This record gives sequence, structure tokens and C-alpha cells, in this order.
Amino acid sequence: MTRRDVALALGYGIALGVLAVLSMLLGSSSLDAQQLFGGLGAMLGLAEPLERNAQAIVELRVWRAICTLGVGASLALSGGMIQGMFRNALASPSLIGVTGGASLGAAFAILALGGYAPRLVLEGSGGLEAFAIPFCSFVMALATTALVATIASARGRASVTTLLLVGIAVNMCVAGVFAAIQYLTLEEWEVSRAILAWTFGTLDDRKGLHCATVLLALALATLSIPFVARELDLLKGGEEDAESLGVDVARTKRIALVSASLSASAAVAVAGQIGFVGLVVPHLIRLCGAGSYRRLLWHSLPVGALFLLGADVLQRFLLGDGALQPGVMMSLVGGPFFLFLLIRSRREVSTW
Amino acid sequence: MVERLQARGIRFAYAPGQLVLDGVDLDLSRGELVSLVGPNGSGKSTLLRCLAGLAAPLSGTVELDGQSLPSMSPQERALRVAVVPQLLPSLYDVLVEDFVLGGRYARIDRWAGPKASDREALERGLAACDALDCRGRAMSELSGGQRQRVVVARAVAQEAPVLLVDEPTTSLDPEHQVSIFELLARLACDGRIVLVVTHELNLAAQFSAAMAVLHGGKLVARGSVDAMMRSEVLTPVYGERLHFGRMDDGRPFVVPRARLLRRSQG
Repeated sequence: MTRRDVALALGYGIALGVLAVLSMLLGSSSLDAQQLFGGLGAMLGLAEPLERNAQAIVELRVWRAICTLGVGASLALSGGMIQGMFRNALASPSLIGVTGGASLGAAFAILALGGYAPRLVLEGSGGLEAFAIPFCSFVMALATTALVATIASARGRASVTTLLLVGIAVNMCVAGVFAAIQYLTLEEWEVSRAILAWTFGTLDDRKGLHCATVLLALALATLSIPFVARELDLLKGGEEDAESLGVDVARTKRIALVSASLSASAAVAVAGQIGFVGLVVPHLIRLCGAGSYRRLLWHSLPVGALFLLGADVLQRFLLGDGALQPGVMMSLVGGPFFLFLLIRSRREVSTW
Repeated sequence: MVERLQARGIRFAYAPGQLVLDGVDLDLSRGELVSLVGPNGSGKSTLLRCLAGLAAPLSGTVELDGQSLPSMSPQERALRVAVVPQLLPSLYDVLVEDFVLGGRYARIDRWAGPKASDREALERGLAACDALDCRGRAMSELSGGQRQRVVVARAVAQEAPVLLVDEPTTSLDPEHQVSIFELLARLACDGRIVLVVTHELNLAAQFSAAMAVLHGGKLVARGSVDAMMRSEVLTPVYGERLHFGRMDDGRPFVVPRARLLRRSQG
């Protein structure tokens, strides 16, 4: 680690801390800094809890902030790995079925539960639905990517093109089932509303278990970085070239695929469809000059967390109580940004 | 020290029933630059991929001093065989230094990173290929000639006893073509096994110790330059349009002869 890396890490830490506190102070019920830190202390067992209502609000906001950080980092890291594996800077985790599978899983869970309104899971009513939906969508996201990977590698080695095509086909099937469920439940107000709400994504009402799921998957994916970063750099020259340099290409693809789908699935399962983080954050880092995966993958963790948390704080600050859900906000910010990137890198796109 | 790369009875097909290589035997020895020539589609690059262990033949063996190359792990192979590929993507965000260090992948410890010996190999590779001035730049900024030298530099930095080179002079001007072949001949003289796949018959003739001619997936001839640069050998392979001659120092050359077109009177 050079001094520059230490300074960067420090900078990331401070920015994350400040944004996290800001995010916890913003919200429909007012909370001052003293209450916030008191409540935080109580959560860590260092202080007496605040009165019941205030303590509950603090806890909700803390989980929300942690969840946002974890989701942002997970999606960004996963996006970086997928782009490296596909050797294509326009790839994202949804290509291999993560988002589609998660949506389907959530829809199944909502059907089974017979409806779920995202804002009803405050204390008391908590319990089953708060965890059943993320659990089902996590499992379905993993199952879908596993299906894509299995079909693509049915005849020996999985080529990246096959993986891409199978991903598109499976995504289409999954989207068809999802649309069918939406259509068939159109008359059931609670169910159709819950399915629709899920597709917007939510960072509200997250609990400790949600955070733990995201952070655990993120930790596993992070541990895999040293095993794929140099390899993904060498893959830029093509699989055969990398192999001639000594890279075990099949193993690299396997590790990257498992890590990326694990972290993205957990993130999408817990927070719903939040597009563009996985696509845009690696680009942001490339624009800042860290084009090698040895740097990009590490940077994607704090930058992804900052990106999602920053966008969330910004829109809640601007829109107040009428805040949009993260999926909507990300599409509004991410869509134009992605277009900008496409126009900027037209040369690369044309050589696709 | 590695002495001999031996291929025996190599058969290879991309699609069932369509043999690209049909029983190729080839011996390469240390200190020799051998050129593999033949028309487009004769199987040259495929043979190179088989020799490098990057393509698995249907049957046949590739052995380096008696050790089977295809059964080695990629890392073990990379310590023994370096490949200069014909085509690489633009690599727009890869620095020359990182690219050449890629040649050291099999030797660099995952946790410790590049050591002094790797840095020295990087320097030596770039110096040997006359590419030290490129080191701080991105791969996509290089001219065709510089880029080709850097790609060879990576293979040199790999410090493998076998060097397999696929058409290193396409899109290079004559000056750069000569400098690449000079470099390959020098690398062979240093005690490596060097095989170069090429369409440049005349460069091959001037720099190689031996030439091998591949035609329709079979090795139809192998021998000294003088024995190969003959109409009896090359005309059946390349067709009737070749003109054979000798340079003023007596070395053979061959040029394609154009049929004269008569302007139609109208």
C-alpha cells in the first residue's frame, strides 16, 4: 500500500461516515444528532436506550444506512466482476439472470403470502413477510444464474458469448413468467400492488437480518477479489491469450461468476431492483483512471456504497417526504448517465 | 535447459470430420529459428496453438524434452512456452508496463506482487525489443510497429525456453518487418526454441535456420532454406505464379508474378 492508497482509504472512510450520518438524520420524523448518537450508543450497548419510539426510529435508520452501503458496494463489485468476465464494459449482473430471478422469487413469495405493503413492516407486524420475500428472491436469483451457467457450459467449457445468449434467453423466460403473474393478479389489489412496489426497490424498513445477508455475501465476494483481479486484467487480451500466460481461465470465470451472482443476488433480494449501480460505478472508476481490475474491484466497494448512499441522501434532501424509491431514482439518474457514457465511448461500442 | 520440442502425429479438427491438421510431425531444437509457412487455411496457426497446448489435438503428442505439454497446467506451460498471438484487442486502458508484466503472471506470487526479478525481466524484455520508450504509455496509443515490439517484449519477459510467434509482421512496414525477424533470430541464438508462422517467405528465408511447409493440414516439406525455396517445393503449395530468383549475394528469393492484363480495344 502506497501513501496515496492510505490517503484514499481515509478519504473514502470520512466521506462514507459523513454521508451515513446525514442519511440517518434525514427522514419523515425529526431526529437530532444527539438523539442519533445516543440511540447508536444504546444499540452498541454503550448507553441507555432512548424512549421506545425514538430508539426504534434510530434503529430503523441505522439498518437502512448500513443496508444502503452494503447494497451499493455489492452491486458495484458484482458489476465490475461481470464486466471483467464478459470483457465488456456494458455488462451488468442482470445479464446472467440475477435481477430477473430475484423478481420472480419475490413474486412467488408475495403470491404465497397473499400481499405485502412495503410500509407495513414496522415493528410488531414484522416477522414472516419481511424475510420471506428477500429469502425467496435470493434463492431464485442464485438458481437462475446457476441455470444460465449450467446450460451455457453444458458442452464442456462455457464460452462468454454462449453465457450471454443463454442469459438473454433465460431472462426472457423469467420475464414472461413474471409478466404472467402480474397479469393474473391484476384484480388482487394487495398482491399486484406488492409486486409492483417490489420492482421499484426499497431501502426502507430494513432489519438486522437483511443487513447481515447483504454484508455476508459482500464479504465472501470481497474475499475472492485477490483470486480474480490479476486474471481479469489478463483476460482483456482474450481467453486464449490469458491461458498462454498461465491463467486458469475456467477457474477464474467460475470464481467471478459465483462471487458476482452471490453478492448481486443478496443485494437485489434485500433492496429490490436497483439498476445501474453495477453498470455505472465501474465506469466512474475507469473514468478516474483506475482501469486495471486490481484497482477497480477494490475501489468499487467504497465508490458503489457512496454512489447509492449519496443518490439516496440527495433525493431525500430534495424531495423530502415525497422521496422516490431507489429503483426509480437510479433509473432517473442512471439512464441519462449511461447514455452519456455510450455517446462518449461510441468507438468502443461500434467494435462490439 | 530445454533441448527439443517434439510433435508427433498431430490431428486436429474444429468440426467433426473436417481435419485441419492431418498427422503432423515436427521437431524443433534449441538455438534454431524455424519458419512455418504455407497458404491461408493450411493449418499454420492451428498447429501453433496445438504446440502451445492451447488447442487439444484429436490425437498425437506434443512433448518438451519428453514431458507432455497438453497435460500440464496453464501455469506450468507458461513457464515453458511463450506465445506471441497474431491478434489482440485494442486494450485501451492497459499500460505497456502492466501488459509486459502480464508475461510474468506465472511467476508472480498472488500475495507478494511483482518482485525485483520481475521488474528486471520487464526492463530486459522492453530493451531487447527496442521498446523502452513505450513503457509509460497505454497500449492503444502505440503505432503498429511499437505495439508488435511490445507484444514480443512480453513474451521475452516471460523467459520461457520456447517461443511460438504467429504472423508477427502483418501490417508492418519493411523496416519494422526486418527488425522483428532480427529480434526473433537473436532470441533463437540466445538458446531458445523459436517457431514463427509467417507469410513473408523472403524474410523467413533470410533469417531462419530451417523452414517447414504446411499444406492442407500436412507437413509437406521441412529443411534448410536453400532446400525449401525451390519451385519443386513451393509451386505445388502456392501455385504457378511464383517467380524464383537470387539476390546479389546468392540468397534465394521469391516474388508473386502478376499476369499481364491486355487493355481491351473498344
